[in-house]
Amino acid sequence: MKTMEKRILLLLFIVPLILRSQGFQVNLQGQKQQAMGSAGTALIQDATILFYNPGGASFLEKSEINAGFTPIFARGKYVDANTNASARTNSPMGTPFSLYGAFGFKKVEKLKLGLAVYTPFGSTVQWEDGWTGRFALTRLELKAIFVQPTVSYKITDKIGIGAGFVYSTGSVNLQKDIPVLGSDGNYGHAELAGSAAGLGYNAGIYFQPTEKLSFGLTYRSQVDMKVDDGEATFTVPDALNANFPDGKFSAALPLPQVASFGVAYKFSDKFNMAFDFNYAGWKAYDTLAFDYELNTTSLLDTKSAREYQNSYAFRLGGKYNVTEDFTAMAGISFNTTPVKDGYVTPETPDANRISYTAGVSYKFGEHISLDASFLFVSLQRKDKNLETNLDGTFKTNVCAPGIGFNYKF
Amino acid sequence: MKLKFALIVSTAVAFTSCKPKLDADTPEKGNMDPTRFVALGGSTTAGFADGALYAEGQENSVGNILATQFQLVGGGSFLQPLMPSSSVGIGFTGKSKSILGYKTDCTSATSLSPIPFNAAGGDLVGLGTSVYSSPFNNMGVPGLSSNEMYYPGYGNPANGVGNYNPFFARMASNPATSTVLSDAMAINPTFFSLNIGEQDILNYALNGGGAAVINPVNGAAGIGFDGSITTAVTTLSANGAKGVIGNIPDVTLYPFFNTIPYNGLKLDVATAQLLTNALGQQGMSFAEGNNAFVIQDNSLPLGARQMKPGEYILLSIPLDSVKCNKMGSLIPIPERYVLTLEEVANIKAATNSYNAVISQVASTYGLALADVNTLLKSVKTGVIFNGIGLNANFVSGGTFSLDGIHLNPIGNAMVSNVFIKAINKTFGSTIPQVDATKYRGVKFP
Repeated sequence: MKTMEKRILLLLFIVPLILRSQGFQVNLQGQKQQAMGSAGTALIQDATILFYNPGGASFLEKSEINAGFTPIFARGKYVDANTNASARTNSPMGTPFSLYGAFGFKKVEKLKLGLAVYTPFGSTVQWEDGWTGRFALTRLELKAIFVQPTVSYKITDKIGIGAGFVYSTGSVNLQKDIPVLGSDGNYGHAELAGSAAGLGYNAGIYFQPTEKLSFGLTYRSQVDMKVDDGEATFTVPDALNANFPDGKFSAALPLPQVASFGVAYKFSDKFNMAFDFNYAGWKAYDTLAFDYELNTTSLLDTKSAREYQNSYAFRLGGKYNVTEDFTAMAGISFNTTPVKDGYVTPETPDANRISYTAGVSYKFGEHISLDASFLFVSLQRKDKNLETNLDGTFKTNVCAPGIGFNYKF
Repeated sequence: MKLKFALIVSTAVAFTSCKPKLDADTPEKGNMDPTRFVALGGSTTAGFADGALYAEGQENSVGNILATQFQLVGGGSFLQPLMPSSSVGIGFTGKSKSILGYKTDCTSATSLSPIPFNAAGGDLVGLGTSVYSSPFNNMGVPGLSSNEMYYPGYGNPANGVGNYNPFFARMASNPATSTVLSDAMAINPTFFSLNIGEQDILNYALNGGGAAVINPVNGAAGIGFDGSITTAVTTLSANGAKGVIGNIPDVTLYPFFNTIPYNGLKLDVATAQLLTNALGQQGMSFAEGNNAFVIQDNSLPLGARQMKPGEYILLSIPLDSVKCNKMGSLIPIPERYVLTLEEVANIKAATNSYNAVISQVASTYGLALADVNTLLKSVKTGVIFNGIGLNANFVSGGTFSLDGIHLNPIGNAMVSNVFIKAINKTFGSTIPQVDATKYRGVKFP
């Protein structure tokens, strides 16, 4: 009973920290997986398997808690193809935080119950003041926090299944300048802010035909983040106040379904490799629509085509046990972009990308281990946006050093 | 402690090494030489806007914008005959520049409208003061038409009011004898821009056609458009200078002609009946709602008719007379405020003929050809520059200044980009276009 209390207390202590956190749209769950190119559907590392494959959680030997924190430094630059005008982002550090707890019970050894709290989507992009694309975007802050209670059951010694219910809560804050000029020389500004919530699930199968070989198959459902009661605030010259009335707005953003297949192989006691393929249903994001409660001739509901396409990723990672306690890991991944030519925006100047990752893990005795990971990805994309005619090259470098803490009991 | 240190180090590394490196190519001048650039033309080249010549407009003139971009590839300084920065500006009829303000009309309704920045009038002192000390690079003269580039004494006050151009008088090296072209040549240009001919057409259009004439397409320098422009180009390029020439927009798409619709006569049932009773014999009919205005037409026995689609009312019309004194219904709109179908056809025909000459001259002399006409046609249907929507609507469209004829700084930036694209294409240069978002549209109170 006492250990149960401890568990609950620990969760209560950590959850508020998580609710203040935010992220970037790179999947950064679990330091060990991050260090291995984010491959992990078929490789059970620790409690983070609750995210990577709920079916694998039943194979954890003990109860485990994992907490991870990955500060993200994403820095962007834009150079206009026609004017050479350039601008940088000065986005704040992203702070995705995740917590996983998988709990076993002596009476039902095949069962694991888990709770995962993580930030799989979200970013803050802040462009420098007065930049040429300010009528498309000046700042976008997206936050999504997933809370996933999970059940995992080991059907046989070789097969485990699991599923989690996902409750997602988040917020959006989008700002841009409006091309109406005041007598003071300042342009108008729009701020659309609201909170969003959505529901979904995460399910998976883990299959381990031999000691050395394992497979994983997972499906994470689409989560529609709906903003129903957003606040639209407009700062415009006095003469135009009636044209841009402050008021409510609604919008929706689909977070895509993701199917993953993974395979892992243990080449020796010291060396493992893992490979994942995943497919994300970004096609669901075809339009970004804002429905304003108060419309005027100047303030009409907007429907911006996004026309995302489904994207896929290949992820490959290896880990090597240098000593009993010390493990080194490295990985690489290739992601295709969901953003088609003509649809690149300063919100997500996305591109096909290769990510390079590395990390280490060190065991401090039987219960505790610490992980450190590092991810670097550089993406560059030249495009002319069909809606705004913004025509130039975006380059973004992302550095994400992360730390993780594991406790087994 | 070690861990903390490692964290600090890795964070610092992440922060510095993560800065992306991305630079534009260095602009090249190709085979044009921007060392001494002269811009020759009319109001657009001068930076005339909001019904007046004033410093901010001049700083955002097409000539000055081009010169600023040329400086990225070795261009020299660009001297302009600037009005004093504190000046309220002055227009062709002595008024100050316009700003957007609130105006109460004869029906006591108050609405946003262009109003004079200075009700007492324009800057006559600024207009009357010579600013010449050395040759100007910006030889844009408000009101200059193609045949006037050669008039000795075009700026000579001794010719009397109406017979000289005071805007040239203030900048001429010698108002009594200078021609605009001779003063332009004083720069000994290595590169020139020429944007002339629009005023030839505006002189007709802004008077509602009628007795006014458009300079003939063919004729000797000083008379016809082709002779005038050919002589200008021959002179400017005599020392081997290269240049760019802009063509002429269809002025009938300007807000000055499109803000008041031909069928803007709104009537209730009783008034419609009253007018039908009064004017029905002349073949006019009126109904509740929108009706075509009644205009003067001296070709008809009774001298009046209703407007037809495709005819335009000029923004110079006294609106209070329309709203409160029956102008456009019982009192026909005088013909000087109207472009009839025939007059519109004359304007379009002249524009096409002028532009054919300009194309011919450009190819004969190896000049870059800036297709301003196509740009403004696309503005008419609406364009988007880096998220800013622009069109040719009065005030709300952003492109045109408050006189409805001349462009705002952002409009001039768009035009300058057409010039730059043409120069780059013709001379193999890679001069960057200007970021039009840095140039203003209409300011709202």
